[in-house]
Amino acid sequence: MVVGAVLAVLVLVFATRDTNRDRLITHLVGAVAPPVVGLDADGVLWDLDDQRGRWVLVNFFSTTCVPCIEEHPELVAFAQSHDGSDPTQPAVRIVSVAFDDSETAVVSFFANNGGEWPVLAADTGRIAVDWGVVAVPESYLVTPSGYVAAKVVGGVVREDLENLLTRALTAASTEAKR
Amino acid sequence: MKSVRIVWLLVLVVVVGSLVASEATERAPRTNAERVNSLAGDFACPVCQGQSLAESEVPVARTIRAAVRTMVDEGRTDDEVRSMLVTRFGEQVDYTPSGRGLTGLVWVLPIVAGALALVAVASALRRWADADTKPEGGSRTFVGRPMTLIGVVALAVLAGILVARAAGDRSSTDALTGDIRSSTRTMLAEAAVAAPTEAEVLYTEVLEIQPSNVEALAYRGWSRWRVGQRDVALSDLDEAVVLDAGYPDVRVFRASARNAIGDYAGAAEDLLVLDGLDAPPIVYDLLSASRLRQRIAGGLAQNGELLFGIELLDSGLDAAAGGDRQAGLLAERGWLLAATRIPELVESGLANLDEAVAADPKDPYARVYRAVVRNAIAGMPEGAAADVEVFSSMVSPPPNLLDLMRSAGLTGE
Repeated sequence: MVVGAVLAVLVLVFATRDTNRDRLITHLVGAVAPPVVGLDADGVLWDLDDQRGRWVLVNFFSTTCVPCIEEHPELVAFAQSHDGSDPTQPAVRIVSVAFDDSETAVVSFFANNGGEWPVLAADTGRIAVDWGVVAVPESYLVTPSGYVAAKVVGGVVREDLENLLTRALTAASTEAKR
Repeated sequence: MKSVRIVWLLVLVVVVGSLVASEATERAPRTNAERVNSLAGDFACPVCQGQSLAESEVPVARTIRAAVRTMVDEGRTDDEVRSMLVTRFGEQVDYTPSGRGLTGLVWVLPIVAGALALVAVASALRRWADADTKPEGGSRTFVGRPMTLIGVVALAVLAGILVARAAGDRSSTDALTGDIRSSTRTMLAEAAVAAPTEAEVLYTEVLEIQPSNVEALAYRGWSRWRVGQRDVALSDLDEAVVLDAGYPDVRVFRASARNAIGDYAGAAEDLLVLDGLDAPPIVYDLLSASRLRQRIAGGLAQNGELLFGIELLDSGLDAAAGGDRQAGLLAERGWLLAATRIPELVESGLANLDEAVAADPKDPYARVYRAVVRNAIAGMPEGAAADVEVFSSMVSPPPNLLDLMRSAGLTGE
């Protein structure tokens, strides 16, 4: 009787815990963005902390990953519409972080597929681990105050990014009015 | 009563002695590399099934291992590394979870269960002793329960035999009772030296335990290919590429298989991806020894895709290090260009063949190709003699080159 009751409680507790999948989707959202520091393809030091005051999309990718190749045109389109030239659209900086890839392949990938934003390709393993990246592509929207507002697991679509940005802007505006 | 106490005392000594001995023989890691291996072995690869960070070769495991290595080299403590991994990837990856929160149950439950079992045994023993007590107050003894004692002894002997058998099968790194991670590692090691048929069985067993083990999948595919099971082999290799597009070995296996079935373009794609992977030098040594890249380039040229073949060779030249490996690729490049018989390309091809001979004067392909091109294509038969002489002095030259020499009229036969 007692054993049965204990077992039932244990089943209930474990069944209602957060699963690994939940964690995969929500990890870091609402937390301070981990560091992203490194040399970009031009050898210029890029630091996420220097972007305070701006929205930033941190994109982890690999040139050998099919969803990464598929999402790239979406990122290019998103970057163009949020490059700051259109006053009706909030400016968003994109930074790509190559995951387990070679610098040569990354440079060639951007040369062939477009994308004018900074891309970090050398010694990026620690950045990926700090962000808890387990598979690419993964993208994170970082607020101007340096918090992770949203996370996308898998290839991004421009429309989804726009929706995420709108929601994050609304949430930030609501927060500011409090 | 006294004999019962002695038995219990002996059991206590054996149990405590075993625990102390096993703890004492578990030496703490001494070097940074040992610490990294030990830490990586204590955490699960977050995207694999049943593989630790130390065992897995998927990109995320390699990346995390490198980060752990950096932290250890920076002087961080094991606790700091563990804390970082749990914070970043969740408690699910920790094979030795902390005693805090809900996961603390994994430590508490066995102790509670053990305590309950101890109480139950003590209670049963007391009942037996009470039942054996004579009405006139004689001594308590187990002798009245000979069948129980025989049963206990039989069970102990059986357990001892099973543990001994497990111990006999284990490798130096296996646990006494065996565990999934150690078992698969041992199986992979055994499969690596087994005949293809036997290896295929071992890899299948590993995959039953760890379906996402890319190494097992890739090598099972290769074993199957070697025994002629082409369809299932290619299916394994395709699946392994999907699981880990950056695993160099599977790229070489699939390139070889695709080349054999005439899919030269597919084979070339695999090698082009391989060249971007920073694969270990041994992979390029194997490629060089098998001349796989050259054979694929030749196949592409035969199919009218000369430029793709040249691109494949150039990619290999960029990735290769060391003169002898370059010699083979340059020789093939020169041969394919000269074979077009277009004057500019023949000239370019001869230049490549000169470079190949300079890189490795004993490369048989460089020598024969240059001799044939000079003699039959470039109209310079006088320049072929030296190459023929060097080639003729080689021990065990490749038979296909002997045939080429004969067909080009460069031998006396």
